[in-house]
Amino acid sequence: MSEPIIVCKQLSRTFVRGSQRLEVLARLDLEIEPGSFEALMGPSGSGKTTLLNLIAGLDRPSSGSLRVAGKELAQLGDAALAKWRSQTIGFVFQHFNLIPVLTALENVELPLLLTSVRGGERKRRAQTALRAVGLEDRMHHRPTQLSGGQEQRVGIARAIVHDPAIIVADEPTGELDRESASEVLDLLTKLNEDFNKTILMVTHDPLSAERAKTIHRLDKGQLL
Amino acid sequence: MNLGSLAVRNIRRNSTRTFLTALGVAVAVVSFVLLRTTLSAWLTGVEHAAEDRLATMNKITFVMPLPRRYYDEFNGARGTVEGVKAATFQTWFGAKHPTRTAEFFANIAVETDTFFDVYSDMAVPADRLAAWKENRQGAIIGDALSKQFGWNVGDEITLTGTIFPGDWKFRIEGIYTATRRAVDRSQFLFHYDYLNQSIPETRRDVIGWISCTIDGASRGAEIANRIDHLFEEQEIQTKTLSEKALQQEFVGSASAILTALDVVSMVIMLIMMLILGNTIAMSVRERTHEYGVLLAIGFRPHHIAAFVAGEAVAIGLLGGAVGLLVAYPLVQQGLGRYLEENMGSFFPYFRIPPSVAVIAIALAVTLAALAAVIPAWRAARLNAVEALRRLG
Repeated sequence: MSEPIIVCKQLSRTFVRGSQRLEVLARLDLEIEPGSFEALMGPSGSGKTTLLNLIAGLDRPSSGSLRVAGKELAQLGDAALAKWRSQTIGFVFQHFNLIPVLTALENVELPLLLTSVRGGERKRRAQTALRAVGLEDRMHHRPTQLSGGQEQRVGIARAIVHDPAIIVADEPTGELDRESASEVLDLLTKLNEDFNKTILMVTHDPLSAERAKTIHRLDKGQLL
Repeated sequence: MNLGSLAVRNIRRNSTRTFLTALGVAVAVVSFVLLRTTLSAWLTGVEHAAEDRLATMNKITFVMPLPRRYYDEFNGARGTVEGVKAATFQTWFGAKHPTRTAEFFANIAVETDTFFDVYSDMAVPADRLAAWKENRQGAIIGDALSKQFGWNVGDEITLTGTIFPGDWKFRIEGIYTATRRAVDRSQFLFHYDYLNQSIPETRRDVIGWISCTIDGASRGAEIANRIDHLFEEQEIQTKTLSEKALQQEFVGSASAILTALDVVSMVIMLIMMLILGNTIAMSVRERTHEYGVLLAIGFRPHHIAAFVAGEAVAIGLLGGAVGLLVAYPLVQQGLGRYLEENMGSFFPYFRIPPSVAVIAIALAVTLAALAAVIPAWRAARLNAVEALRRLG
């Protein structure tokens, strides 16, 4: 059996709001194998997004250790963490979060601007990613000219264009109708099965969660 | 697409706001250019004034006259004032157009035979100069004045005297053009003898000032001293200055106005900076969530700050360019020509100096960058998780 790609040990995250200390994650242990497709479910405030943010290197734990894709994240400074994130993590957001003044192709090209990949190659890779999500005929459309489902597929293309090891998706179908949601989940499944991407998805939707190989349930900052 | 073009393309996001902000910058730049051009035009007289021409006037003030005999003594002594090439004299007449009294123009009684020897930067066709010298009531006017009042050679005109009351009849005999930038193209020049012989005897034989050309500009102070020395023992002492020094004294008397123009031009640009800063701050607030996305996918805080600053600089540059595109035809084709032709005594050359255009665009860009400092700093300090929580 291979080494887990994500290892959380006694992971805690506490927020201070005025005089109150709010423990959102409490000594959580979790291991995720490479190439798995895992869903995080739980009520609002259970700590799903906080855990996702920690694993994605967007936030730092209050205590405990976190090893992702072979890196102890606590040892990385802010600049190194941002660079690691840009190489290792692909983000899929609930609200798609595409840049409105850019075309689909340019939105997908965005993460590659941080790399040494040259302009022509950047464009070629972005085109490949858009083809992979079935949007080769929408490359030069702006986000406002796309449906919600298409926008999220562009979001997925943006998440995979730099070939990350892990894709984190925060409520990726939360804004979509059932048919579009199904298409997006098909895509995530394909990325997991055909390209061996590790996918960690936060969702409220049991039907979406069913697509994952493993479902983790959180409540009050702890795995059930 | 690259990081630079991404910053610039953000200005298309809210095109109405960008348009209005750039318009604000453009208006500020036009105002700045107009004020600075006015300043520059005022100082043009000093910059381009003849250094090799001296004016000798009453030591107390140039408003008080000199006896005409001073000119004769000056001429008589010219042989002893080494370095003087030619001399003439003039008297301020101060008359007005009978109906268009608000329109100022310099009208001066001059010594007919010698005036254009000393003022060789005013060109008159030889036949017109000869005709003027022949006609005691003849006048030579500047081309701008000719255009202003529609006066042409052969026209009989009447001016209303103020210092020398009465109706004064003249015939336009010639029109001069300027061969040097600082020359006032709106002057009205006529025979001193006509004035002198038409006024009461008690007022006769006084002149305003004596002008002379000298051998070399560098010797101006030395020759001026020698001229003043000629009249040192007389009842009225003289003060001799180069035309440049005279212009400097005149401009110096208006220094408060010039300083005010200078300050106002800078205040306008500072107001522009505040407007732009407010626009950029608004746009940063609206895009907080988007900056969170960029930070999440690996962009660094300095990238975010550069996007904000780049957008501000792009708007500053756009507004500055539009401002110059408006200011150039406005001044060079419209206002400048109008002022030169109608207020040539004050603004003989009213054109945008290239340095003013360069300063205007540089200020627009620099102040835009400064306006972005605080919004950019705030944007760079955003926490990705917090920013992602805020919806735009």
